[in-house]
Amino acid sequence: MATLTDNPAVSAAAVEALTERLQEPAWLAEERRAALRTFDATAWPTERDEDWRYTQLKRFSIDGLEPTDGPADATVGDRIAMRMRDSDAEGILVNKNGRTIETVRKLEEQGVVFEDLNTAVREHEALVREHLYSVVDAKSGKYHALNAALWQNGTFVYVPAGIEVELPLGTFTTADRGGLSAGRTLIIADENAKVTFLDEYTSEPFDGHLFHGSVTEIVLKQGAKARYLSLQNWGRNVAHMGKMHARLARDARLESLTVSLGGDAARVEVESHMQGPGSESEMLGLYFADQGQHYNQYTLQHHEADHAFSDVLFKGALRDASHAVYSGVIVVDEGAQKTDAYQTNRNLLLDEDSEAVSIPQLEIGANDVRCSHGSTTGPVPEDQRFYLMSRGMQPEVAEHLLVTGFLYEVMSRVTLPKAAEYVERVVQAKLGVPGVKEKL
Amino acid sequence: MADAPMPHPDADKLTGMQHEKQYDFQLSESYFYKSEKGLNKEVIEKISAFKEEPQWMLDFRLRALEIAERKGPPKWGPDLSGLNFDDIYFYVRPQEQQGTTNSWEDIPEEVRETYRRLGIPEAEQKVLAGVGAQYESEMVYHSLKEEWEKQGVIFLDTDTGLKEHPEIFKEHFATVVPPEDNYYAAVNSAVWSGGSFVYIPAGVEVDVPLQAYFLLNAQNIGQFERTLIIAEPGAKMHYIEGCTAPTYNSDSFHSGVIEIIAKERSDVRYSTIQNWSHNVYNLVTQRAIVHEQASMGWLDGNLGSKVTMKYPSCYLVGNGAYGEIMSIAFAGDGQHQDAGGKVVHAAPNTSSSIVSKSISKGEGCSSYRGLVQIHEGATNAKSNVECDALLLDETSKTNTYPYIEINEKTAHIGHEATVSKLNEEQIFYLQSRGIEEDEAMALIVRGFLEPVAKELPLEYAVELNRLIELEMEGSVG
Repeated sequence: MATLTDNPAVSAAAVEALTERLQEPAWLAEERRAALRTFDATAWPTERDEDWRYTQLKRFSIDGLEPTDGPADATVGDRIAMRMRDSDAEGILVNKNGRTIETVRKLEEQGVVFEDLNTAVREHEALVREHLYSVVDAKSGKYHALNAALWQNGTFVYVPAGIEVELPLGTFTTADRGGLSAGRTLIIADENAKVTFLDEYTSEPFDGHLFHGSVTEIVLKQGAKARYLSLQNWGRNVAHMGKMHARLARDARLESLTVSLGGDAARVEVESHMQGPGSESEMLGLYFADQGQHYNQYTLQHHEADHAFSDVLFKGALRDASHAVYSGVIVVDEGAQKTDAYQTNRNLLLDEDSEAVSIPQLEIGANDVRCSHGSTTGPVPEDQRFYLMSRGMQPEVAEHLLVTGFLYEVMSRVTLPKAAEYVERVVQAKLGVPGVKEKL
Repeated sequence: MADAPMPHPDADKLTGMQHEKQYDFQLSESYFYKSEKGLNKEVIEKISAFKEEPQWMLDFRLRALEIAERKGPPKWGPDLSGLNFDDIYFYVRPQEQQGTTNSWEDIPEEVRETYRRLGIPEAEQKVLAGVGAQYESEMVYHSLKEEWEKQGVIFLDTDTGLKEHPEIFKEHFATVVPPEDNYYAAVNSAVWSGGSFVYIPAGVEVDVPLQAYFLLNAQNIGQFERTLIIAEPGAKMHYIEGCTAPTYNSDSFHSGVIEIIAKERSDVRYSTIQNWSHNVYNLVTQRAIVHEQASMGWLDGNLGSKVTMKYPSCYLVGNGAYGEIMSIAFAGDGQHQDAGGKVVHAAPNTSSSIVSKSISKGEGCSSYRGLVQIHEGATNAKSNVECDALLLDETSKTNTYPYIEINEKTAHIGHEATVSKLNEEQIFYLQSRGIEEDEAMALIVRGFLEPVAKELPLEYAVELNRLIELEMEGSVG
């Protein structure tokens, strides 16, 4: 069994140096110190912990990694430049090795704030102070305590009441050096506001190993709507530990999509807390693991209020001795009557050596509810492959088509065509569809 | 106030088998021997000495105690904080002589009276091939009809099984559930007493059920029966277990281990309708090893007890083996039924099915906890899991924790679960046809359980329906 150990680089001195460099206000420095104390007081997870038993912990070790202190090369690079061009985003931040290196802002309208988090701490202190750590605090677990103490930069979005931002805002996170990095995103949509946020991770090959921790807090006030897309396509020398946690007031709506395609190992936790009646959460997930990749995905649909709706659909394909875990739970509190909650996980196993684990769970404390979950795992259906081959298709082509079709159920529910196109291209490149790789 | 439910048309077949709701048959306690409270080496040595066991068994028990101490109770699952080992009698011996009798006349009058009230002797004459009865820590009665004895069927209490058939016993004992398996299996291994030892020779088909009945009468007692069933190639059998205890103010503890070895082409069914009183902690390990082309079926009914943790399991180790788990749970006020099932596919062409139906009423909580595991190389495995939960009241709770681990590309695995409440339209319809509201609710609940109940022999299905009716009584406020 892998045991994780403390890293001397995660220290009070590191916290002080960071908060000093960023010239942070005293309250934030104190929050960081408190988070470090929580980090020190929290044991490392082990494979004996129920929440971690299927996680290959050694692949999330931070042992020997130094906190990154800016990139070697502060230009955005070809890959990010291409993503910036292709992703019709209205505002873009580029973060590289813990520093914000580029900010593009096409909107300055109606009080919308789109800012790197370090700047926001200074310029929108009251808003940040009220909401930062209010959704995910250091007590959410060892890795999230680490993030709370040592996050280096990130994104702050505030959309005032009644304002609808049609085009996405996006943050592209990348790296060109190994080490330990941590980013944090805070999104606040005030009453009846609307926002779309793209959270992308990608990197070109570099030497060394990177551990990246990412925490996203989303606060949706009454009637607010948010779309959140996380596209993780790191290079193969990165371990990604992500958490997205949204809090929904009355009649708020969240549409999220979590895509895992890159990295060596990734664990993502997607949580939605429906605190107001009539709130709705759609949480989609898509993953394709190959060449021994290890993906862990956790979802929580917490129905705290009545008359709320939630739907989770996570679909993934696996091959080349890779490993994927989906574990999700619907929690319906006592009194949360008229809840409508659904949860589905489907896995496609493309080779003998891959392993899929699926744990769809229910904890229901109210009786007038409609809840169901389903999980299936199997190979590409032989009859479908046979049919396509009988129409003259090569076996590989038939498989490409069937895998794409399998994942299409998720993609067809994504309302951002450019992001959907990009995901489809990455999937096709992983499948080895001829001629796709060059377009990436 | 609602009327009492109508008796079932088949109720006359069950003379004496009906349960009084309050288990008001509590008898005086007089015992030949009662251990000190608590679990320790001395208690174990005493048990072993009483039973005049071979040294290897005493060694096994002591090793199991060490394992239990090392392991400690599980950190997951329902709240077991009310269960205090230091307050439990781990061994209670009702009578002086060791071993069982095959004549009810030889059993102390008081004990016999209890079984008479439960209707066991009548049922034995009418519908069973053999009966075993365990009272506190020891089996007191065991009999098998002559026609089966002639064919070489062995049906004994486990202690006698160890004495009279040491070779068969030692070869199979603890091979299915070793003490290392889990904490409660380790505790059972240390202090086990009683249970049934069943051996069905190759090709013998016992076509009427064997039954064992477990009874707890003393307060604060622990019952640790150990059942070992061996079905030789081509054998067929159905074993039924029933459990009950009178209601006391303090809690009792039942932790059985059931081991089944279903050899090639055999067909074994094991049915339990557990109706412990609502102060018994019922933590049981049931497991079957299923060999080539054999079929194993668990039917698990959990109606009684305070907390039940029971996950019957099938290890499908032979090509083409089949495992089936059907589970029903009824959790009333203050009850937590944590039931489920576990299937390990370790050979090609194996298939399995888990069907779980649970009902929660009042403040009751029922959980399904399950595991389906497909090992690498277990090609063309198929498994389907279905869990349906019915919640009767606003305060009722249900949880579903299915674990699915798949390591084989050719596996076809499906899992589905639904949660719903009683359908008001259906109740309204039945009422419009002149059926009382509580009878309408009971009817719908019985319909919900039908897919599982129909797998039981008629007499037991009737018994199950009757128990459900009793539990449903007073559902309409």
